[in-house]
Amino acid sequence: MSELLRVSKLDVRFNTARGELHAVKDVSFNLEPGESLGIVGESGSGKTVLSRATMGILTTSIAKITGSVKLTDIELTQLSRADLRSKWGTEMAIVFQDPMTALNPVRRIGDQIAEGPRVRLGMSKKDAKQRAIELLRMVQIAEPEKVLRKFPLQLSGGMRQRVMIAIAIACNPKILFADEPTTALDVTVQAQILGLISSLRKQLNMSLILVTHDLGVVAGHTDKIAVMYAGEIVEMAPTKELFSNVRMPYTEALLNSIPRISNESGVRLPVIEGRLPDPTLPQHGCGFSARCNYATDKCHVERPQLVDGGNGHMYRCFFPLGVNK
Amino acid sequence: MHKANQILQALTKLVLVLLGATFLLSLIVRLLPGSPADFYTNAFDEEGRLAQIKDLGLDRNIISGYLHWLFDFVRGDFGPFFMSGGGTRPTSVIIAQAVPRSLLIMLYVQIVSLTISIPLGLITAYRADKTTDRIISTALFAGSAIPGFALALALGYYLGVRAHIFPTIGYVPISEGIGEHFKHLVLPVVSLSIPLCASYARILRTEIISTLRQDFVTMAVSKGISNSRVLVKHVFRPSSTALITTASLNMGGLIGGTVIIDQIFALGGMGQQITFAVFARQYIALQSYIALIAVAFILFTVLSDVLIGVVDPRTKNRNV
Amino acid sequence: MFKKLNLFSKISVIWIGLMFFFAIMGDLLPIPDPAEFFDVQSAGLFSPGHLLGTDLNGYDLFANVVAGSRYSIAIAVISVGLGSAIGGFLGIAAGYMRGKTDYALSVLFNIFLSIPNLILSLVLIAVLATSSDPNVPASDNRRIIVIIISLTIVIIPILGRITRGTTLQWTNSEFVIAAKSMGMKDFMIIRKHIIPNVLPSIYAVAFLAIGIVIVVEGSLSLLGIGVGNGTSWGSMLARAQGDLEYSPTALFVPLTFLGLTVIACNQIGDALRQRLDSRESKL
Repeated sequence: MSELLRVSKLDVRFNTARGELHAVKDVSFNLEPGESLGIVGESGSGKTVLSRATMGILTTSIAKITGSVKLTDIELTQLSRADLRSKWGTEMAIVFQDPMTALNPVRRIGDQIAEGPRVRLGMSKKDAKQRAIELLRMVQIAEPEKVLRKFPLQLSGGMRQRVMIAIAIACNPKILFADEPTTALDVTVQAQILGLISSLRKQLNMSLILVTHDLGVVAGHTDKIAVMYAGEIVEMAPTKELFSNVRMPYTEALLNSIPRISNESGVRLPVIEGRLPDPTLPQHGCGFSARCNYATDKCHVERPQLVDGGNGHMYRCFFPLGVNK
Repeated sequence: MHKANQILQALTKLVLVLLGATFLLSLIVRLLPGSPADFYTNAFDEEGRLAQIKDLGLDRNIISGYLHWLFDFVRGDFGPFFMSGGGTRPTSVIIAQAVPRSLLIMLYVQIVSLTISIPLGLITAYRADKTTDRIISTALFAGSAIPGFALALALGYYLGVRAHIFPTIGYVPISEGIGEHFKHLVLPVVSLSIPLCASYARILRTEIISTLRQDFVTMAVSKGISNSRVLVKHVFRPSSTALITTASLNMGGLIGGTVIIDQIFALGGMGQQITFAVFARQYIALQSYIALIAVAFILFTVLSDVLIGVVDPRTKNRNV
Repeated sequence: MFKKLNLFSKISVIWIGLMFFFAIMGDLLPIPDPAEFFDVQSAGLFSPGHLLGTDLNGYDLFANVVAGSRYSIAIAVISVGLGSAIGGFLGIAAGYMRGKTDYALSVLFNIFLSIPNLILSLVLIAVLATSSDPNVPASDNRRIIVIIISLTIVIIPILGRITRGTTLQWTNSEFVIAAKSMGMKDFMIIRKHIIPNVLPSIYAVAFLAIGIVIVVEGSLSLLGIGVGNGTSWGSMLARAQGDLEYSPTALFVPLTFLGLTVIACNQIGDALRQRLDSRESKL
């Protein structure tokens, strides 16, 4: 196949004091070159662990990872640490949620951006500096020469996030992992940053994995969406298809809880009752069954498998919405 | 404008403290039962004695005496050192010989301590809680608690008296031979460096471990650069501010330690001079010695604050 | 609470306990008289009749170390105790009342702290311990009192600064502001809210200070300015220094006791501080 990234049955368990935490349960998905995938879920759904385990930057000392991650046919899970490290920056890169803590506070912006090109691409100091200026322009920061000499403290939140994006794309990675890239920002800035990421993606023909809890964020910026719940992918479909033909009760509930201007005023936002199941306990039946409005006895006992419903739409439910038996 | 204000405030506090410390010292000196006049005059008659007292400047009252001393001090005149046969010698001569030695020793000690403690700190932090760390950290803890003079005496005995590897007495200036110079300084410098080095390494370890938890370290790692580069270029600098603060705080202890070492190994530095001045009741000279030390100590503190400001731009915005 | 400590801390506590035992019960122990000359000179460790040997003059080292513990520990405990009490009081005053009181006290603390410990105590002792006649050394008792006073003065600003810092933290905490707004008297607030929270950090620093004082006292005696005549550990060191080549045990016995005691104090102080830190971070 021509896909760029193929994740098969990726499973991540943590050894914690309270027992074994099953964070990611046999997850599989593919990513084509230039495609953008949105991974959506509540906090604790396993989406961050999934993205980091895929890239390989999870601290392996307490995590047990099984399964396969193939990057253009190279099996990442079998690589030595050094070989895996060589893929970071040049083939896979990550943008973090909070730019204040993710940028080194005592080093200048210029140094931090130029580090990748200098160390990984072997550029000279001068060339790397030029590259840094070029990158700052790409992320739409004005007066790049001045910004080079500044420290992260001196920039606004939006600018810091742009800098982090510049650092991530510095060595032209094939895949960009964006872990909640806009959660720490103001709403207006959020839209700008998302727009920036999308345009950069098209410009550089980069694939994107966008991890977020906000369906609104993925709506306009992804080719396909995977909805995660309790460590499993419960629904995956091309974006338009997902929004128009929702199959999972969970996804429907998520969609309903997005505040819209068209909603009547004075009406309470629908809320999903209950909480995520405890990931240290074995799962009985469907993970969402305790909170599902349509749950039946079967749902509480048997675990549904992923079903292909056509049109590239997969779902994990015995009684998917809108499908007649 | 605000910055100039801050600097001014800090300077005022500094000057206040300096003046206060030196005045306190002169006050203490004045509390001596029996006056220096009794010791240093050898005239036979009252008139001659009074003349000598006036000559030596011992007849002023506290404030006047202090102010006189202060004006002389800031001009570099450190007052008279009373010779047993009568007459005086300028203290500045003594200081000119003793102070550089003590400063040199302290410099060597800091250099040695930092050179060894930084790699130790990095290693123990990198391998935190593994066997290497546990062994080294235990040794470091023991090392940091042992008083300098205890090591000096112990090392002096084993390596000096018994094994005759290093000399235990005396100081040789560089001009008389670099080899001898360093040979005589090995024992003193090592005795003071071990506790200092241990304390630095422990502090560095704690700071590095806490820095390693920060997100920007994961970010740096995700760029694909090697672990050693991450440690050196990204982790070390934010962790070093605590080290600089410790180094400056330890200066006081280092000065005290140098004084003892000076005495134990007879190095002719400030330690011996101070002790001698105490026994010989050379109080004016003593006042100058101590004032000099206090000034140096305060300057070191200021220097370290400036250094921290350079290394970590975050602190520039905080109040001193 | 003893059980929770790690191995080092347990050993440290036991050692300190032993030292206190020696200091208090020293006279009653079935050991030779420290002032007695024995015929055996420069005896090594574990010689018959002399557990830790004797020095060049024939003094029994174990007996002298035990006697010395009384001085070294008493001096340390008294000066740190007094210094902590006074320093703590001043620190709380400075931290709680802020304003001019704070400024004045801070400057005062800094003045004393700008002179290294050893030097300050040296000068204080030099001045206070001398008698009018330069040829007659001051009496032993006078010297001890003077040493205690000087060391207390050294400790006061150290504890004052720490207490002030902690008090500042706590004065700004919400329940103190709440208490004030309810009209609670300052004195009551200090007694009920500030002191219980500042006390743990005082304990931690006090232990470290005991270690510092023992070292300073040892250094002073080594310089010849301390208690003198081989009564404290430090003066035992001074006495042994001259005969080092012939009688090394005379040096190493008190040295080891001194060193181990300082290490033990540091360990306990450290452990207290760690418990303090972890308690505060959970808040």
